[in-house]
Amino acid sequence: MSVAEMYSKYKKALITIAVLLVVSPIFGVILANAVGYHEPLDVAASMLHLHEVNLGDWTPFADYTVPGLPEAIGYIVAGAIGVAIILGLGVLLSRMVGNESA
Amino acid sequence: MVVLINFPLCTVNGERVHVPDGFLTLPWIVATYLATGAYALYAKMKAKLTPEKVTAMSVLAAAIFVAQMLNWPIPGGTSLHFVGGALAYLLLGPWLGFFTEATVVTVQALVFHDGGITTLGANILNMAIVDGVVGYLVYKAVTKVMGNTRKARLIGAFLAGWAGITVAGIMAGLEIGLSPSFPYGVATTVPVMGGWHALLGIIEGIITALVIDYLYERNSPLVVHLR
Repeated sequence: MSVAEMYSKYKKALITIAVLLVVSPIFGVILANAVGYHEPLDVAASMLHLHEVNLGDWTPFADYTVPGLPEAIGYIVAGAIGVAIILGLGVLLSRMVGNESA
Repeated sequence: MVVLINFPLCTVNGERVHVPDGFLTLPWIVATYLATGAYALYAKMKAKLTPEKVTAMSVLAAAIFVAQMLNWPIPGGTSLHFVGGALAYLLLGPWLGFFTEATVVTVQALVFHDGGITTLGANILNMAIVDGVVGYLVYKAVTKVMGNTRKARLIGAFLAGWAGITVAGIMAGLEIGLSPSFPYGVATTVPVMGGWHALLGIIEGIITALVIDYLYERNSPLVVHLR
């Protein structure tokens, strides 16, 4: 079975992923900026006076941004890059597994 | 819970449930990497990968990755987003589910600096092992008692999503609180993390239950394990 055939079973899931990607800046950028963004982890860390240590900038896409793009558009493009990497890894691993069992 | 909500909030931006670098001491970094590595090795032996299983894993991982980008800010309080560890375990089982959620957490750290490198072991442990294993055991217990009915699946998946995320939150609280530099930190971090996640976990439970029910009723190929 080809890769395209295998993924064709997941057409609905892939469409859902695309729709979620497009609306993601509404939740991940616009609303988050409007009301302030806090995680329970941030609350706990601030009470202990813990500080993040930056071990270096190992990626140009930190915090789901893309250099040169506005925040909301960058968020969608960053998400698409993440999805492409995950599905790409799936295709690679699936071929490796297929070759092993052949 | 009211007490917790009234705690002053810090203004750190950009971090999620993912522990960043600098929050864990060396013993915790080593211990969490070792625990995660051991589970990964065992899961690899048990998973018996096929191209079909790998395809299902990658589609679910992509969906969970995108779902995690949707933050639901709660005015004046906190924010939440779906984590999905329990969902992955219920759909794909404890071995494939682990690799699915671990892939999400690893891509988030390496590609988007969402969570640290020294804390990657801890983040995988919390979200791809603790969340999933707790959720999976709770679901199995509920369906054992109530039988394999639609009602049992809905209740089991809700409780799995809720319990998984609550215990994962407590685990993260233990990790950052039980460090030599903060001998009493755990008394603060565990109630804060556990309390908030028990509350936010209600949404995680509802989403987990609705997604499981939808996919199960429609015979989705993503339901690998429950059948």
